[in-house]
Amino acid sequence: MRKPDPNTRIAITGAGIVCAIGRDKAEVWLSIRESRDGIRKLSRLAEETFPTDLAAEVLDELRIPVTKREAKRLSRTDLLALVAANEAIEQASENAPLPRKRAIVSTGTSTGGLLEGEEYYFERLVRGRARAHASRVLQQPTSGPSDAVAKAFGLGGGAISNATACASAGAAIGIAADYLRSRHADVAIAGGSDALCRLTYSGFNVLQAVDEAPCTPFDANRKGITLGEGAAYLVLERWEDATARGATILAELCSYGASCDAHHPTAPAEDGRGAEAAMRAAITDAQVSGVDYVNAHGTGTLLNDSAESRAIQSAVGTKVPVSSSKSYFGHTLGASGALEAVISILALQEQLAPPTLRLREAASDCTPLDYIPHTPRPLAMEHVLSNTFGFGGSNVSLLFRRVL
Amino acid sequence: MNRVAVTGIGVVAPGAVGVDAFRSLLAGGRTAITEVDRFDVEGLRGRHAALVRDFSARDFIAPMKMRRMNVLSRLSVAAAKMAFEDAPPVDPATTGVAIGTAFGPVQTSVDYMREYVEKGASLAPPQLFAESVANAPGSHIAIEWGLRAFNVTVTQRESSALAAAMYGASQIVKGAAAAAVIGGVEEVNEMIFSVLDRLGSLGNESRPFDRRRDGLVPGEGSAMLIAEAEGREAYGYLAGFGIARDTTASISNWGDDPHAVVTAMRDAMDDAGLTMRDIDAIYASANSTRRADRVEYCAIQELFGDAAPPVVATKGYFGEYAAGGALQLVAALLAIDEQALHPSCGFEEGDAEMRIDVVRERRPAPLRNVLVNSISAGGGIVCAVVSREAA
Repeated sequence: MRKPDPNTRIAITGAGIVCAIGRDKAEVWLSIRESRDGIRKLSRLAEETFPTDLAAEVLDELRIPVTKREAKRLSRTDLLALVAANEAIEQASENAPLPRKRAIVSTGTSTGGLLEGEEYYFERLVRGRARAHASRVLQQPTSGPSDAVAKAFGLGGGAISNATACASAGAAIGIAADYLRSRHADVAIAGGSDALCRLTYSGFNVLQAVDEAPCTPFDANRKGITLGEGAAYLVLERWEDATARGATILAELCSYGASCDAHHPTAPAEDGRGAEAAMRAAITDAQVSGVDYVNAHGTGTLLNDSAESRAIQSAVGTKVPVSSSKSYFGHTLGASGALEAVISILALQEQLAPPTLRLREAASDCTPLDYIPHTPRPLAMEHVLSNTFGFGGSNVSLLFRRVL
Repeated sequence: MNRVAVTGIGVVAPGAVGVDAFRSLLAGGRTAITEVDRFDVEGLRGRHAALVRDFSARDFIAPMKMRRMNVLSRLSVAAAKMAFEDAPPVDPATTGVAIGTAFGPVQTSVDYMREYVEKGASLAPPQLFAESVANAPGSHIAIEWGLRAFNVTVTQRESSALAAAMYGASQIVKGAAAAAVIGGVEEVNEMIFSVLDRLGSLGNESRPFDRRRDGLVPGEGSAMLIAEAEGREAYGYLAGFGIARDTTASISNWGDDPHAVVTAMRDAMDDAGLTMRDIDAIYASANSTRRADRVEYCAIQELFGDAAPPVVATKGYFGEYAAGGALQLVAALLAIDEQALHPSCGFEEGDAEMRIDVVRERRPAPLRNVLVNSISAGGGIVCAVVSREAA
């Protein structure tokens, strides 16, 4: 087997994002600058009675890059993926066409087409198995977004999907980087997508992990997450290929670290050992002495934030500014690693660290760190870590470098 | 050349619990496919599946732990337990997990939604929600054996297990882990079965490559492999992987472009540092559908011409999706271990234009390297090379 070559540099030549605070990078970054969150009263799934009623939904009409006929067969998770992938691919194609023959798609998603699966389930209850519309669950498998993106953009390099709960998109980006380094592909469209659905909205509520108010990561009064939805993709290429075709390089993906807590099906290890191991692995692999900003997983749950703050302290110390973008667009589950990767890249480009909104009083059970409350902060950043952790204690930490 | 040793195998397969029983199943040439009695198939065209029977999770998992696991987790932990007992000890701190599953916890989602409808959105059981994520089996394995390196669950339809093996092996070669549990898991349930039936995918006999084939038969189970950077007593070695995608595929069906399969097979051989002459057999993806089997034999003919090695189709034993695709990989490793090819259960006579040699009787043969194919609906393709020697 060809070893993923650690000396091969990975260039990011495109990025796309859609979430509650915007339908593309420009809209999202404007919201970040103006400290505008996307958390509102839940509008879809409105027939249900949940104990909480907030969400960070994508409410704007989606600009879908396929025909209406094709779109009808796709899940909402697939459609969100297409919107983000389209923006990323368009950006990467600005100066020169993006080679598509050996382009792979690597997607992380936690629920795939579960929303449509739920509707099919309800329809079966009413109409019976023989008369419910089975075509609605064509895209139920979590391979849906990868297959939909690959098909829409004619990508022939391969499709890889992973469903590693909330660590999915981080893993998807890591997998893609390794396969570029081992030359199994020349281009990777890597990211994640997840649409809000009943099972997750209900499930986090019964776990009592949802805050009744908009989530307040690292705050003394935090009570849990706010659920969100969205998608984001990066276009990754080997550095020399990107420069050879004259592509503009947005940032470098230096490395990633992956680990497992091996502790509990849903709760993180309280000492943050797994998270720390993932961050350390990324830093060691990138051969950097430190980082300038950490885009935290920062879900707003009691357990995550205290464990993660400890892990950050152990891995990079207490001086490095830290914030959670989930205070803007909620916890987008399997997509979160990709959304926050795009935020990290924009932060590096703009040299502006996004804040943790609504942070009034830093929690006493969290290590005292510089959590950047309320408003974005101009910050000289060379290296940024982006953390993504999931159910089952799976942790991924991505490390990005600024490119001038 | 970097190769990854497979030092332990655990199997919970249709018709076979344990690797020895699985060897016997394959040697016997008889299918494990039976009529479905787990759920109502009234009104469906498909009535058959390869189901795991005679498996008692209690033999492998403590009752307190078992209560927290869905069927997929139980199958996976049992298979991993057998694999660990079969292999020399590994260092848990540097051992990762990469598991593939095509449809994952659909049954758990259905169970959750039933409670959701009956009891209300705020009163469904949290235990079911915890098990409704596809990576729950991988998490349980990590917790049970304290495995603290990477932990990923790959979901690429029919290619899931091979794609998981590719990632797991790549992490060992990269040096990110010293060992890994790799494999797959699947459950046959009413929801997926009836949807596949409505789509017209199901047949009632699995006859890979046979001219009378008319659809796939779903299978289930789990297979887990212990993969290590070095291993003296190994079943065989993961030597190379290749990926590609058939751009002619629709979102729910196979494509018809043999070139994409050729590309993936080439990539796998190239990754292994081998050429076509080094390949002694092919363990095929063939799943008894008209389309997928044809694209595969056309690709083998296109790449190898008249020099194609013998081809074994294993899904006649245990159906499609079985163990997320991992049973096919195990079969190829056992062929190398036994230096003999398995009979292709269900195959009698191929299409008129098919020229490949599909093995029908057990055939002793010197096997240095075996190519393993997996071709997915939706277009994803992963191929692997497994080898007898460490280098």
